[in-house]
Amino acid sequence: MLALAPDDSSRRAAATLGRPAPWDGTGAAGDLVWGLCAGSAKNPYQVIVELDGPAFKCSCPSRKFPCKHALGLLLLWSAGTVPDLREPSDYARAWHESRREKAERASAAADAAGAGQKDTAAAARRAAERAQRAASGLDDLQEWLRDQVRVGLAAAATAPAASQAAATVAGPADMAARMVDAQAPGVAGTLRGLSGLARSAALGLPVRAAGGAGVRGAGTDQAGPAAADGAAGWPARLLAEYAMLHLLTRAHERLDALPDGLAAVVRSRVGYPVSRDDVLARPAVTGRWLVTAVRELTDGTVPGRRIWLRDDGTGQWAMLLTYAAPGGAWQDPRTARLRPGTEVHADLHYYPGQPPLRAVPGSRHGEPVAAKPPAAPDGLDGMLAGWADGVARDPWLTYWPALLTGTPLPPGRLAEAGAGPAGCGADPRRWYLADQEGNALPLADRESLWTLLAVSGGQPVTVAGEWHPDGLAVLTAWHGDEAVTL
Amino acid sequence: MTTGVSFDDLVTVATVGVSRKGFSVSELAGPAAGNAGATDAADPAAALLDAAALLTVARRAGVRPVPCAARAATGGAAGQPRGARSERELPATAARLLRRLGHADQAPGFAAGDAGLVADLLGAVRDAGCVASAPLLPELLAAAARTRALRPAVVPVLGERGRWLAAQRPDWRRAVTQETAGRTDDGGPGGDGAGVSAAEQEIWRTGDRDERRGLLASLRRRDAAAGRELLAAGWAKETGEDRAALLGMLAHGLSAADEEFLEAALDDRAGPVRDTARRLLGRLPGSAFRGRAAHRAAGVLRAERHAGRGRLVVTVPGDPDEAAVRDGLSTTSPVPGIGPWAWRLIQVLAAVPLAGWTARLGPPPAEIVRLPVANDLALYVRAGWRHAAVRHRGSAAELSEWVLALLEADSETRVNWPQGAWVSDTALAAMLPATARAERAAALLAAARVDDGMGAYALSAEVAGIPAPWPAALAGAVISVLARSVARPVLPPLPRALLGSAARCLPADGAVDYAAELTLLAGTCPRDWSALLYGAAETVALRRAFLAELR
Repeated sequence: MLALAPDDSSRRAAATLGRPAPWDGTGAAGDLVWGLCAGSAKNPYQVIVELDGPAFKCSCPSRKFPCKHALGLLLLWSAGTVPDLREPSDYARAWHESRREKAERASAAADAAGAGQKDTAAAARRAAERAQRAASGLDDLQEWLRDQVRVGLAAAATAPAASQAAATVAGPADMAARMVDAQAPGVAGTLRGLSGLARSAALGLPVRAAGGAGVRGAGTDQAGPAAADGAAGWPARLLAEYAMLHLLTRAHERLDALPDGLAAVVRSRVGYPVSRDDVLARPAVTGRWLVTAVRELTDGTVPGRRIWLRDDGTGQWAMLLTYAAPGGAWQDPRTARLRPGTEVHADLHYYPGQPPLRAVPGSRHGEPVAAKPPAAPDGLDGMLAGWADGVARDPWLTYWPALLTGTPLPPGRLAEAGAGPAGCGADPRRWYLADQEGNALPLADRESLWTLLAVSGGQPVTVAGEWHPDGLAVLTAWHGDEAVTL
Repeated sequence: MTTGVSFDDLVTVATVGVSRKGFSVSELAGPAAGNAGATDAADPAAALLDAAALLTVARRAGVRPVPCAARAATGGAAGQPRGARSERELPATAARLLRRLGHADQAPGFAAGDAGLVADLLGAVRDAGCVASAPLLPELLAAAARTRALRPAVVPVLGERGRWLAAQRPDWRRAVTQETAGRTDDGGPGGDGAGVSAAEQEIWRTGDRDERRGLLASLRRRDAAAGRELLAAGWAKETGEDRAALLGMLAHGLSAADEEFLEAALDDRAGPVRDTARRLLGRLPGSAFRGRAAHRAAGVLRAERHAGRGRLVVTVPGDPDEAAVRDGLSTTSPVPGIGPWAWRLIQVLAAVPLAGWTARLGPPPAEIVRLPVANDLALYVRAGWRHAAVRHRGSAAELSEWVLALLEADSETRVNWPQGAWVSDTALAAMLPATARAERAAALLAAARVDDGMGAYALSAEVAGIPAPWPAALAGAVISVLARSVARPVLPPLPRALLGSAARCLPADGAVDYAAELTLLAGTCPRDWSALLYGAAETVALRRAFLAELR
């Protein structure tokens, strides 16, 4: 919520105002939240927030947007201290209506402009130019990748510039910049994630990492490609990532020959844009979508979140990806209220690609409601089978949704439990999740694992999260009917 | 190459460089074996990357679970099955309020500065017969491990699940064991009935100091003699620190049977052991130790008629003899500004319970304290009595008479002696029953000037020391101090010092809504400091909501 704040001082001020004391006449109805806040003026400020935007209105003179009062009101609302009312107050309704009229006028104007018919020929030309630019950029990348293994990963990272051919001097970060120019932002992001790994090479870190714990925090939480081969040392991880980029360049060369689904995967990994309208034009999948887990993405330049949804009836998964917009709001405000354990009856439209995961929400058939705890669909084996199937269709896949029942085991406990051959191959420094069928998977190391253990009480517990090849990140655990965010 | 190229082989080549090492691929290891022909034949670097991609995808897709015994999943590995359903968990809303009040909602973990408030709330949880909810446990245990003051509040609300969880982490386990060692009710390492079980013998031999303290405490509560014998058996082999720490556990189930052992400990090599023995012997009615102290004190103070009025005459004790030194009297004064003879007087008086003077001198405490003392020694006598008041418990009614008399006697003077020589009013008042203490504090508040900076500190410390929730009289007095201040442009020192404890201690479950009263005041006070009042009001309001959730 505080991520919406324009600056630090607003954030602090909002934290003080997010308390019931200075507020009066607060209420919420539908997407509107309003209240009167005692401030420095004679009359209290009228503060209104429309959650479906979010849009803010406050009668205070502050030039910051949103102002601290609006943020405070949001905090108050999120703490559950704003009563739900049937009708908005008069000032809130007036503002809401004027806002809606404005929006209608604007969309009418946009329709008029659209009627002018975009030049489809020009659009096609732009697309061709873009493909051309990407192809040439990826050619450069392919050559650069080959140079890395020709010169040697160690030498490429450490050797002084003078002794190298110009092409190999560039590090992953330089290459990332080149990929931005080539309009291949997907590849650029991957390369940026690798520059840290390449730096560890430059620092002469040991070739074998200290162990699974070596990727603690940064690696597992960013869930970036660099984390995907956890326990291995940096050369192995770097080679794996370079190889996957190399595979992408080779696939892009024969884009036209690939089956449609795979071609769409390659385009999305390279970073071809897909407009939201195009996605919304794809067939709708209606379902009662349970929010199983929300992954906060904090490592990027903008905060974002991955919201995992599952329809219990069909077993279908979906993932909504949303980022903070420059103004501080979520780009897709309708996702802001999707918290783990809630269910929403809505249409989703999947992005092109396989397996279908990423989606955007279409029409909604009801407000999000608290849902019963889900039943885990299958064991660890079943989840891994789904993952393997996913990798077969998208080799660049690095995470996969998980909804499982299992018992968390703190470090060292798996070895205790498994007498004889069982339990061998387990890392005694890692947490595991064990299921009833005698299988266990390592867990990504996070401080909240202790909360998971507390919720489990040493018994099987239903959890949801993301599977990465180096461990399962548990993001939600059900404690009775309550979905606990970890 | 018969086994095929493995990923590790590729890493070796790639690290050194294809240009130096050369590379050609004929076979690939594992599930990628069938695809070796797909690699680039022309460029060895491309071939290596092709092969690496094939093996990487194969390895990622082929992750297998680690086999484990099925019982691992049913709690067999992590301990016994847990989750007693008979325990009532703190409702989720109350848990949210608790995290908010403890400032654990914005950043993880309870802030140490909120320990007092959190401890009060947890006390209410315990009184309501609830245990902490599972998601709350790790933060509570982490706070207890970090902040010692929180342990007495956290341990009783852990419940079966929380105790099990604490056993999973050494730092949590230590915090809980140490706390259990100091508690008087049930708990501590297993074992019941008389005597020492084999498991206890094992802990006694191999456990760390805290575990052994816990064991001794629980054994003493069960079978005091067995506990003493266990301690005595290995006494000579313990280190000085261990001896002092373990001897203190004899406080549980202390009786005349322990006197001989404690008396012997007065000759211990280690000072802390001797101090502990003296403290325990002083609590033992009828002990020889107390007899010796009473004998020494009797010669120091007597009443006589002088010029038609009663007065007290002091015979300053001489240098302590060997027996007196053994009983804890020192020859030199540790307190600067207090001479050796004065210190001897204070020590001798401090060593005997005040009840003895009431019996010996005749009149009730209020009159005894008012008697003039020959040679202007009254302050020294009262200093000794103040020490005696906080050191010895006895009949509560008589003690509170003494305390009130002593507080009254020096209410006008401000004694500037160092802390070690003069027991402060606050410490003395703490010996009063809660209601008497609160009444006294309320009276002081009613008389206090709101902008007396020096007085504000001492007075607010005294008020803050009164356990929450405050009685109505004290709560009213605090509100009235705030009401007297609302006209000031800046918040005066006294209400400023009171606000923190007021937020924590104003009653939050009675008929009077103090949150509303504070909000009312905040509406009338200058804007510059209304936020402080709003903050306190909010804390009280949240406490009200929390307590309502518990009902």
